[in-house]
Amino acid sequence: MDELIKDIAAQEYKEGFVTEVAQEYAPKGLSEDIIRLISAKKGEPEWLLEFRLDAFRKWQRMRPPYWGHVKLPRIDFQDIIYWAAPKRPEDRPDAIDPALMETFDKLGIPLREREVLAGVKSKSEVAVDAVFDSVSVTTTFRRTLAEKGIIFCSFSEAVREHPDLVRKYLATVVPAGDNFYAALNSAVFSDGSFCYVPKGVKCPMELSSYFRINAAGTGQFERTLIVADEGAQLSYMEGCTAPMRDENQLHAAVVEIIVEKDADVKYSTVQNWYPGDAEGRGGILNLVTKRGICKGSGSHLSWTQVETGSAVTWKYPSTILKGDYSSSEFYSVAMTNHYQQADTGTKMIHLGRGTRSRVVSKGISAGHSENSYRGLVQMGPAAEGARNFSQCDSLLIGSSCGAHTFPVIRNQNPRAVVEHEATTSKISEDQLFYCNQRGIAPEDAVALIVGGYAREVLSRLPMEFAVEAQKLLSVSLEGAVG
Amino acid sequence: MNSEVYVIGRDSVPQYLRLEAGEERTLTLIVPPGNGGRLVLEADLVGPGASLDLAGLYLCPGDERLDLRLLVRHTVGGCVSRQLFKGLVGGTARASFDGLVYVAQDAQKTQAYQENHTILLSETARVESRPQLEIYADDVQCSHGATTGYLNPEELFYLRSRGIPEAEARRLQMVAFLAPVLRRLPEPLIEEIHACLS
Repeated sequence: MDELIKDIAAQEYKEGFVTEVAQEYAPKGLSEDIIRLISAKKGEPEWLLEFRLDAFRKWQRMRPPYWGHVKLPRIDFQDIIYWAAPKRPEDRPDAIDPALMETFDKLGIPLREREVLAGVKSKSEVAVDAVFDSVSVTTTFRRTLAEKGIIFCSFSEAVREHPDLVRKYLATVVPAGDNFYAALNSAVFSDGSFCYVPKGVKCPMELSSYFRINAAGTGQFERTLIVADEGAQLSYMEGCTAPMRDENQLHAAVVEIIVEKDADVKYSTVQNWYPGDAEGRGGILNLVTKRGICKGSGSHLSWTQVETGSAVTWKYPSTILKGDYSSSEFYSVAMTNHYQQADTGTKMIHLGRGTRSRVVSKGISAGHSENSYRGLVQMGPAAEGARNFSQCDSLLIGSSCGAHTFPVIRNQNPRAVVEHEATTSKISEDQLFYCNQRGIAPEDAVALIVGGYAREVLSRLPMEFAVEAQKLLSVSLEGAVG
Repeated sequence: MNSEVYVIGRDSVPQYLRLEAGEERTLTLIVPPGNGGRLVLEADLVGPGASLDLAGLYLCPGDERLDLRLLVRHTVGGCVSRQLFKGLVGGTARASFDGLVYVAQDAQKTQAYQENHTILLSETARVESRPQLEIYADDVQCSHGATTGYLNPEELFYLRSRGIPEAEARRLQMVAFLAPVLRRLPEPLIEEIHACLS
């Protein structure tokens, strides 16, 4: 076991390169002037500037949340650059900087992967919106999508071209003053993705966003807004990486998802931000707010997340089940290593009658890391016949890590049922022995067991991500000897 | 090994337990109707081989505000703790259960189990359950489970279709739900609880 821990601790972060692209910065710090500057740079309408300023004023009166089971380094919000864009003044979308392209190549992200996949599927099935530092670099497959009436573009573009839609839905799920980090994001968000699938349309391909923090001393604050109108269907993926740096970098994103009547949204994330080095120096502070609402009856929202990166993860993708007979799922694998800390889970808020939710969370902790599941399942007074099942398992590798489970169950309806169960265990000697005895090398056995442990979640991912996630997990366990 | 039973509002209930090596204790807490307030119990398992078996039931049919808080700390390895708490909540009562199992670093070979089940009997009752695990050792077996629900109408139908009056059938359902805790009690106390249910 000791060797295993050593080997895991020796793992290098594979996406830790910096791309040398000329960048344009805003001055450090945060004030109303900076917000006006960001807004002006992006040529935003008055209402959006007002929205930002309002959020900023709220944020100034707020305190950071303290209840997470994480030790956060003190964040100096005046020491962060809130706006950094690669300098590509004209036609940003069609001319990708070769250095940027190389970055994406190195990462092997879906932009290129689509060609690999072309051999599998007859037509390319992935449309990508890549956000590099603060600016959305490129959005592919716009035309194919537009034929179906699907809008998939960067957030700034959506503000310019579809202001009514943005205005109608922005901050309806995560209000500007929702929490400290959401308020900060509402004030300074730089870019992000916007997606709208009209009534009755099934999105013909997977939509994907790709986020990367590149510049030093910057924070990334992207804002994603996904709207699935009546009967629409959509599968959305999001991936993230960042270079290796000694200082902590802040990532405070907000994702809002609106699911109308009978619509179906599947949202998948593979989060691989830089986790800091083996001594816990540096790494991304991933403090994000993700929330969806099943607004209409029969709507469905499914969250799938694979969390392997970040020094600190503070993230609770939640669903408000408002529509009658709507349903939601949350599938998560969170792996922590070295000195990583993760406090993640979900909230299922059942308001409508006959609503259903299912939570499957698998935590894996190794090294000196801390991994917590924190969840809320709430049955409102009108949630007649609602049902939830939650299963949270933790796997511990090594004796210096911690695994915790903090669920809250609140029931206000005598015809609603909530079930929660959790277990904590390690890879047993018996399991290892069984594999070894059949000629499976110890490290393969560990990978096999972890793979089997996480399978229920991994099998939910779209294929492009399933491959990446599997790779990430096995990379972390490479050379593991029980 | 003796089994201790405490009835809230009648007996003085220990607030802190300390179990030395090899010590075994079995405790059952009963919260009869009409008792609210905060009930706190903390237990430290400080010697290897200690074993704590904790169970309880709470009946809140009126306007009780019950707040149960349990903390079981495993500071050394090789100990076993079990918790089983069952509640029936009706009327306008609010009942919350907050139980934490803490397993210290190096408290290897710990076994800790925690369960909390509640049944809501009325539209205006509220329950909250926070079963929590905080674990810093890897070679452990820990699990917890929590459910909230209602008296199953199909079971009720089954009983009624066999000629059992509705009120009696409901009582049987409640007795069955509480049975795992009831069987730890002396006969007179069981009778008393049965009487509370009708």
